[in-house]
Amino acid sequence: MTDFSTTDFQAALIHELKNHLGLLGMTLERVPMTGDAAHDMPLDDARLLCQSVTDRLRQALWLYKANLGPLTPDIDAYSPHDLINALAARAKTLSRNRFVVETRLADSLPPVAFFDRDLIEMAMTNAIQNSLAYARSRIVIEGERRDDYLILAVRDDSDGYPQHVLESVAAGTPYRARGTGLGLQFSRLIAQLHENQGRPGELHLANAHGAVFQLLLP
Amino acid sequence: MSVPFETSARGPIDYAALRALVVDDYPGMRNALRLTLSNFGINKVQVASNAAEALFQIRNKDYDFILCDFNLGEGRDGQQLLEELRHGNLISLDTVFMMVTAESYYEKVVATAELAPDDYMIKPFSAEVLRSRLESILLRKRAFREAYRLFAAHDLEGALAACDTLIREQPRYVVDALRFKGELLVTLGRFDEAEALYKQVIEMRAIPWARLGLARALHLQQKDDAAETELHDVLDRAPEMVAAYDLLSDVCAAKKDTAGAQAALERGVAISGRTVRRQQKLGEIAYANGDLGAARTAYATAIDKGRHSIFVSAEDYGNLCRVQAEQGDYKAVADTLKQNRSTLQASPEGRLVTAVTQGVLHVQAGRQEDAAKAIEEASALRAAGTRGDARLMLDLAGVCMSSGRNDEADSIVSEVARNAHDSEALLAKARKLYDEAGRADVGASVLSSATADVRRLNNEGVVLAQKGDFRTAAEKLLVACEAAPYNPRIAMNAVWVILKHIDTSGMDEPMIEAARHYLDAAERQAPGHPRLSGLRLSLKEMEGRYGIKRKTA
Repeated sequence: MTDFSTTDFQAALIHELKNHLGLLGMTLERVPMTGDAAHDMPLDDARLLCQSVTDRLRQALWLYKANLGPLTPDIDAYSPHDLINALAARAKTLSRNRFVVETRLADSLPPVAFFDRDLIEMAMTNAIQNSLAYARSRIVIEGERRDDYLILAVRDDSDGYPQHVLESVAAGTPYRARGTGLGLQFSRLIAQLHENQGRPGELHLANAHGAVFQLLLP
Repeated sequence: MSVPFETSARGPIDYAALRALVVDDYPGMRNALRLTLSNFGINKVQVASNAAEALFQIRNKDYDFILCDFNLGEGRDGQQLLEELRHGNLISLDTVFMMVTAESYYEKVVATAELAPDDYMIKPFSAEVLRSRLESILLRKRAFREAYRLFAAHDLEGALAACDTLIREQPRYVVDALRFKGELLVTLGRFDEAEALYKQVIEMRAIPWARLGLARALHLQQKDDAAETELHDVLDRAPEMVAAYDLLSDVCAAKKDTAGAQAALERGVAISGRTVRRQQKLGEIAYANGDLGAARTAYATAIDKGRHSIFVSAEDYGNLCRVQAEQGDYKAVADTLKQNRSTLQASPEGRLVTAVTQGVLHVQAGRQEDAAKAIEEASALRAAGTRGDARLMLDLAGVCMSSGRNDEADSIVSEVARNAHDSEALLAKARKLYDEAGRADVGASVLSSATADVRRLNNEGVVLAQKGDFRTAAEKLLVACEAAPYNPRIAMNAVWVILKHIDTSGMDEPMIEAARHYLDAAERQAPGHPRLSGLRLSLKEMEGRYGIKRKTA
């Protein structure tokens, strides 16, 4: 090809990057655990890091696309039960039995709800990653319906969020975002994009015997 | 065709029985996906590295699950493969087709309602999410099995009833069932009910497919202003929703706003230019608007992007050559023929396009002997039953006239006019041909006598039908059909009158056979015409009433 433009080149590179990252993730999943901490610990770290790089790449690409046009979520009807169960399965794999992963599906949780599945999955995976980094022994993924909001939550038994993070997310003010903060800012944006009849979605953070991450989707 | 891999209506999914095909151009990914699937218990996994391989395997073996990368390197992409599979009925509704894509906006930009995969995965993805999505599709297909079975057996009423049962009894599938039901209602021609259904979904949430469905239902009821308002609002919120531009173009065309129709398609093409049919449609509209530059670009792109698509036909090459010739760029015409020689020579339709176009070139360059040879070639193909589209036939008539072969020209024009007696654009083009040849008077008489017969028979049939004499009306219209075998309007009128005749006077075997034949012909000539689904349904209803089992094709 003679007319291979830089945009095509860039697209091809990103395509390759995603392929390799996907392969790396799948390859790491296939390395067996040995029970020897000297082997298993760094392997766990590598898995978590790989997931984290994957998440950051998806966020970066999504924001890049968003720069080119308005931010519109792809809202459709999905089962929140399926979503939570898939996230729990992912959390279990990532936790490698170091944590208990539980789900709590409230009776109020509707069989079908409206949201952008990919974006919500990204936000929730981010919260799960945080909990995997800070929890002592337990992560709970929850879903319920309250006051016409679909509420999706990740709860852990860590020391909870630092006070300044709670304050700035509650006030909606920006703060120097790094690590955890980056993911939270992204999650807040995703929640807000889930607008329905004038009501935006919200991100709530709280400390209650650990960190509580909640997406409230109207 | 396929034996469902899993017959129990309840219980866990039996992954060991699932036959899977992984399509990816990247060997490392094929192996990784195969290993991932085997972790789920899916051991019957085959792989293909491109669309051609996948097609070969799918033709020879049934699969329950196809996991396909959108980007397949050279050749067809994943979406073109899916289009070909759906178009050729190579996979049933029971087969799970999942697209793997690197683009988070694949769904809005590439997939269209009628050619959507069951689900898609954005790369890179985890095994757990893949498994969860697959499981949820398999369970959904299990819930929809009865609705799909009835749909495949053309029992649309039964499929509707099955949807209603799902809506009542399975809250998990309410929205999916409403979506399928909306499509069934449109197919059945029950547009007002479809409109109400989409409004019901929008009441729950204004999701894009429901809004597009509403706009389509409005358009099909000629409520085009309301449809246009809805579509503009959808596009204000989500300007990358390309399917909305396609529909907006149809709505504008229905309102005789041809400039708006072209503008809508141009916006759609700017976002996603890969769809062959969008380019073809843009070419048609731009050509009709006299915008030769835009028409040329669109036709050329359709051919270029559609090199591996089943939707590109000889007609596309003819269209491109015609535009190039009308621009006076005869060198480009010759180049188009030369570059696509092997494709064109492979079919009689392609050879006809080549012969006619070469005829045009020879006439233009004053090579009378060569032009005569081209006409001979075209005549031989026509004598063997090969037909081109109406414009190509008028081109041929033009070449004949320029070579002094007026009788042949008149007979070709007459055939075109009979089959397009109500197409002002084609009749005008034919008239122009005669004007340029200084034979305006002859042209007027050829056209009026060709269209008069068909028009007279058609009108007589319609009047008789209005008077309730359906039998004689049907006989008149069948004569009209014989005179104009490629005229969809006449064919649909004939089918309608025959069905009325049987409805009032009882079964008439030869007549219903004729109705079947001409309904098929009308579907070939005017695919997607709004009258067709209603006629198809009435025919089926009539066959059902008299206990006729239609021979399966």
